[in-house]
Amino acid sequence: MISGRALVSRAAPLLTCLGLFVIWQVGSLALKNDSVPTALEALRAVPTIMGDKESLINILASLRRMAIGFGVAVLLSIPLGLLMGRNRFVASFFNPLLMVIYPVPKAALMPIIMLWIGVGDLSKTLVIFLGVSLPVIYHSFEGAKAVEEKMLWSGAAMGLSAAERMVRIVLPAALPEILTGCRTGLVLALITMVTSEMIARQSGAGNILFNALDMGQYDTVFAMIIVIGAMGICFDALFEMLRARLVKWSEPQFDMPLSFS
Amino acid sequence: MSVLSSRSDRRKRTAPASGLTTPMIEIDRVSQTFQTSSRKDHLALSDISLRVEDGAFVSILGPSGCGKSTLLYIVGGFVNPSQGTARTKGRPITGPGPDRGPVFQEFALFPWKSVLGNVMYGPRQQGVKPAEAEAQSRVLIEMVGLKGFEDFYPKELSGGMKQRVALARTLAYHPEVLLMDEPFGALDAHTRTRLQNDLLNIWERDRKTVLFVTHSVDEAVFLSDKVVMMTQSPGRIREIVDIDLPRPRRRTELLLDPRYQKYVVDIERMFDDTGEAEVLP
Repeated sequence: MISGRALVSRAAPLLTCLGLFVIWQVGSLALKNDSVPTALEALRAVPTIMGDKESLINILASLRRMAIGFGVAVLLSIPLGLLMGRNRFVASFFNPLLMVIYPVPKAALMPIIMLWIGVGDLSKTLVIFLGVSLPVIYHSFEGAKAVEEKMLWSGAAMGLSAAERMVRIVLPAALPEILTGCRTGLVLALITMVTSEMIARQSGAGNILFNALDMGQYDTVFAMIIVIGAMGICFDALFEMLRARLVKWSEPQFDMPLSFS
Repeated sequence: MSVLSSRSDRRKRTAPASGLTTPMIEIDRVSQTFQTSSRKDHLALSDISLRVEDGAFVSILGPSGCGKSTLLYIVGGFVNPSQGTARTKGRPITGPGPDRGPVFQEFALFPWKSVLGNVMYGPRQQGVKPAEAEAQSRVLIEMVGLKGFEDFYPKELSGGMKQRVALARTLAYHPEVLLMDEPFGALDAHTRTRLQNDLLNIWERDRKTVLFVTHSVDEAVFLSDKVVMMTQSPGRIREIVDIDLPRPRRRTELLLDPRYQKYVVDIERMFDDTGEAEVLP
């Protein structure tokens, strides 16, 4: 049986969303401005977008770029971050480089990348890749640095080579921190995905949004924001479920709602 | 059949009882210098020479900062000495190896592995088949008193239990020497006493060579055949005291034994003379 209290805490995220829509609805009705459609108008436009073949192809193209950019970034960033965390030379080589790149909004690099490699999939995927890489490298680096020396010594005494210690001790020990970086990276992937399509207008979810804006279809604009936001929430919740399974051993022992946390 | 190495039993039977045999551990004029944050050289260990015979329980006793842990790390192969050599069975130590198993004050368990996973780690690494490694590990877990906790993760265990797991994990790959670095230092007095008793009971079964670092006089005398007293900055050996008390030892009996009391008092007095007041009774 679920107690009343648990029920409230389960339903809390939904209540928050509902509250937000109510405020939006009331606010937009009060404003009576064309550029602020009511929540109901925006929500009504969502199925229209999702039912349109053209829009779906656009959104799927976005997601494909996001998946590739995120996947490649994670696969390259984790080993680099771990090496930096355990090897002073690797760290002193890459640290200044990353410090320069970190604060630069990756979308700001988009015009230059477009100039070099065009407005196609590659440049957009590259920007997503850059956006995801930095937090993942940074968190992998911090996680690897924090691995207890004695744990590595224990492994060495059992006969693990330096490379084996990296894969079988540093990687699992740093995993909670790495996954925190990946979670940030996932959200950043979504953000850079949309912004890259805003700059290189050709296809994608961001393209639908900004085309609608140009044509004054404000209900579609807000509907797209809802769609993108919902994707963000879903990805984050799914990733959090995966994360919680992988690092069950490191979690504090009290229950937290899976997502929205 | 015990899972504890039967190699050591054979070894004991064949080893001649003369001092001319190659010692299990030989530390030969070892010095260790560290660079401090102010770029000055700090001499942590100065000209240490020590022989540890096969099957001996030897404690290294000294105040904090006397370099006793560093000495243990040198034997473990985790730290290279600035000068001198350490040898095990006559071979120079160049790095860590499964013949010398460490147990650290910080436990250093693998938090992503269950108790069973931690204990099985060494045997699996050594190529023991999963089923066999698991069976051996279960026996060891029972031996250290953790039957029923096989599937627990380290974060779910108390400090004393964690150290029991760490001991089982190290025993699992049959090291010839146990290197114990203040293993009970982070535990409360009650847990500490229980673990000392249990360690001696486990040790009595196959009498591995043990090098045990501690700052507790009481602990050193209770456990050891030999107590190596060290002085501070630079770390030097001050005195080696042979502890001639019968085994197996029972703590409750020993505490009343005048010989035990005399060892404790004598060692404390010696530290008092040198002003090494940080040593705990």
